[in-house]
Amino acid sequence: MASSSGNDDDLTIPRAAINKMIKETLPNVRVANDARELVVNCCTEFIHLISSEANEICNKSEKKTISPEHVIQALESLGFGSYISEVKEVLQECKTVALKRRKASSRLENLGIPEEELLRQQQELFAKARQQQAELAQQEWLQMQQAAQQAQLAATASASNQAGSSQDEEDDD
Amino acid sequence: MAAAAGSGTPREEEGPSGEAAAPQPQAPTSAPGARLSRLPLARVKALVKADPDVTLAGQEAIFILARAAELFVETIAKDAYCCAQQGKRKTLQRRDLDNAIEAVDEFAFLEGTLD
Repeated sequence: MASSSGNDDDLTIPRAAINKMIKETLPNVRVANDARELVVNCCTEFIHLISSEANEICNKSEKKTISPEHVIQALESLGFGSYISEVKEVLQECKTVALKRRKASSRLENLGIPEEELLRQQQELFAKARQQQAELAQQEWLQMQQAAQQAQLAATASASNQAGSSQDEEDDD
Repeated sequence: MAAAAGSGTPREEEGPSGEAAAPQPQAPTSAPGARLSRLPLARVKALVKADPDVTLAGQEAIFILARAAELFVETIAKDAYCCAQQGKRKTLQRRDLDNAIEAVDEFAFLEGTLD
């Protein structure tokens, strides 16, 4: 939606959307182009009007975000109270869908396994992982040690010119 | 469902205002379904935010505002059509809208739009 030249005030509702609404409201009626243009502008003005009023109502109400309630009050105070009942249907739809979504996601999360069991499984996995980590670390440590010892032995052997009969382990862990 | 918001308008017919013909983004996937509004919600939101006084508008507020705007268009179109019929015309002309605006008190705010 990047508009390079226009500022926000050039925004309108797209003509196609308005045309569609006009067609659905007045099927089989011809509408002049400049009439359509005017409807687009009126619709934009309407949105500005309501949102401005709703914003004022919102400011008075110590809330920071314009809520549906503010919009409804704005409609009422500006003489569009007759729209309210239909507009409330939208609100109902919102809530229904939001509820369905929450239910769906919680169903997915649960997978029929109770929470304590999930927790227990989780702890088990952690413990296992920790153990594996520890074993791995120890192996690495042993390998390092052996490598170090061998290096030392080789150094000793070449230094004293004699392989030496005992190749005892020098350090015990 | 949320497709209603976009109204399947792949090409915007914006005039010289510099808006590219980019398709309107659909309403967010969390948008309520069914016939929510024929107006693209992102655009409605942009219009609301264009007001410098407005800080935040909730998503639901935008939805119902869009629906209200839709009702407004329906109402004014029907009113204008009545004027056309009175004039025994079958084509809705701009003057029918002018008349409708003047006839209805609540539409007084539009008188600045007429030029």
